[in-house]
Amino acid sequence: MTRQTDSKYYLKALKNILRKGKDSQSALCDIASKLGLNFGVIGCDETLLFGTINEGFQSFSLSLDDVVYGRLLTSNGDGRLLANMLMVLVEKELEKKKIGNEVLGLYREINMIYSFSEMISEKIDEKSIAEMALREASQIINSTHGLFLIYEPKQNKVVELASFGLNPEKEKNIHKLNVLLKELISRGTSAIVPSNKIINNPALKHLKTIMYAPLKVKHRTLGMVILGNSEEKEFTAAELKLLTTISLQSAGALETAHLYQKGLQEAKEREEAIRSIHEVSQKFVPNEFIKSLGKDRLTEVSLGDLVEKEVTVLFADIREFTTISENLNPEDNFLFINSFNKRMGPIVRKNDGFIMQYLGDGFMALFPNGSQTALRASVEMHSELRIFNEERAVKERFPIKLGIGMQNGNLIMGITGDIERLDAAIISDTVNTASRIEGLSKHYGSSILLTDNCKNNLTHPEEFDFRYLGPVQVKGKQKPIDLYECINGDNEQLSKHKLATLKTFEEGMKQYFMKEFAMAAVTFQQIVKKERNDSAAKLFLNRSAHMITQETGDDWKGIATISSK
Amino acid sequence: MGQKLLIVDDEAHIRMLIEQTLEDLEDEGVELLFAENGEEALNLIKEEEPNLVFLDVMMPKMNGMEVCQIVKKELNLAHVYIILLTAKGQEVDRQKGLDMGADRYMTKPFDPDEMLAVAEEILKV
Repeated sequence: MTRQTDSKYYLKALKNILRKGKDSQSALCDIASKLGLNFGVIGCDETLLFGTINEGFQSFSLSLDDVVYGRLLTSNGDGRLLANMLMVLVEKELEKKKIGNEVLGLYREINMIYSFSEMISEKIDEKSIAEMALREASQIINSTHGLFLIYEPKQNKVVELASFGLNPEKEKNIHKLNVLLKELISRGTSAIVPSNKIINNPALKHLKTIMYAPLKVKHRTLGMVILGNSEEKEFTAAELKLLTTISLQSAGALETAHLYQKGLQEAKEREEAIRSIHEVSQKFVPNEFIKSLGKDRLTEVSLGDLVEKEVTVLFADIREFTTISENLNPEDNFLFINSFNKRMGPIVRKNDGFIMQYLGDGFMALFPNGSQTALRASVEMHSELRIFNEERAVKERFPIKLGIGMQNGNLIMGITGDIERLDAAIISDTVNTASRIEGLSKHYGSSILLTDNCKNNLTHPEEFDFRYLGPVQVKGKQKPIDLYECINGDNEQLSKHKLATLKTFEEGMKQYFMKEFAMAAVTFQQIVKKERNDSAAKLFLNRSAHMITQETGDDWKGIATISSK
Repeated sequence: MGQKLLIVDDEAHIRMLIEQTLEDLEDEGVELLFAENGEEALNLIKEEEPNLVFLDVMMPKMNGMEVCQIVKKELNLAHVYIILLTAKGQEVDRQKGLDMGADRYMTKPFDPDEMLAVAEEILKV
């Protein structure tokens, strides 16, 4: 402090005593009256602070350490005592002020730490904690450089989280001195490193003094905070204490941040697990099914949910599966089925259908968009099967045959079961019929069979070619169903043949239903002669031949009754 | 006429801290007054009608809230600017204090620089 500021400071204390200190005032007045004198006090700024002054008053200077801050003027020469007393009071007042200032300084620190801990506890990421700690430290502790380091157990390395102050070699030095820093951190102590100790350290050549404090949580040390000063000024113990406090608060915040991140990570993993369960559950219960019920996810579905819809039900079945499976062990059987299903599933989905159920040697699929999509899928499935069979042929495996049957109609989709065991179920006569039609495809030797209902539902029937196979009395149904064969699912040779003989076949059918059985037999014979693999033509050739010798009443309508499934 | 500032707190060290904080105001002719409980504060306010009061909430013999309510609602001393002081974490009192007519609200530990700035702003010195 300069003499001038000193005198101002002392004057202030003098003013406090004369203006506010009622006890001091009365003591002064008491003594003055006992001494029988009048007095006045003038500050070093020449203002009258107390009493009155007359000409001829004697002056006694008021001073501390040779710094004059005022004068006491008295009506006679006995004023020295009074002046001395006033100076003692001023000294006392100054002491009080000094303590007051120290307390205020401590209070400032408390306030700073209070608001710092409040602010830092809101931070949830390491970097901003580190930055805030350094910012706060640099504000209250005179420093030119700062470094916030943490130990990364995964990398077994000390890394920087934040820093301030220019040091182009900082990163290089952190790398070079990593072992030393690790050692310092593991010690978990704080210290001021005086200039004579750092003078020989090339990494600290830009600094005159440093101090560091650990980032401690309970018994673990997460890292350290280092402050440095390039000016010739040692850090004080009080400053180290402050840095330690800031570090302690930061360590707590870091720990909370870690826990928070951990919690977040765990929540993410849980969510991921739930998501994958959801995904898997979608594979077991088709999402389309759930959507049809007006629900977003499986968990929203409850017992009794149901919806009625018109759909195309498709059954696909591997022919002679029992014979195939007899020659395979259970594992190979499964592999075989899966290799087949793997190829068919995508075709169903591509055509907006979904597989409702796998049935061992086949599956049931639903096509909410109607038979156009179902029939497209059927044709594609057959052509995919041909590719599959070619691949199998290379491995000297027998070819697979596939029969598809479909029916259109209303269907109730719903959730059935009991409270403990739920299942997605469909209840419909359409399903039974579709299954029976698929069964008939064996009988007629057709790759794809469909009902008139299905055919009428086609939006673009011209995409396909059909042969009418007449009415069939299906078991469990009252009315016969008109049956059609879609020939586009056959191999190239067979479908070409069927297309070429389409008119002849129609003619044969007409003759058959007109009871001109001999004519029909001849017509079908022509077709069979061209292609021995035309099963339907063969079937009607046999039927016609059989009917020649049969009596037919007026009610004969050529309805086929097939007892075998 | 010189302005008056009243500091009310039952804890002597807090009174001293505030005095220390606001000391510079004395150079501007502001007179600092002190009271150590609600009753004393109320009497001083009636007598001196200070321009600004730093009023602690938690005090024996009539708490700060009551003093504030009497000053503002009963005595209608609207020109006595009252700043309530409460411990951090007791912010629930904030609205209650403002409802009692307090002009402002500060938490303890207070920021000395902020306190001085606020006093200077209100007293326009």
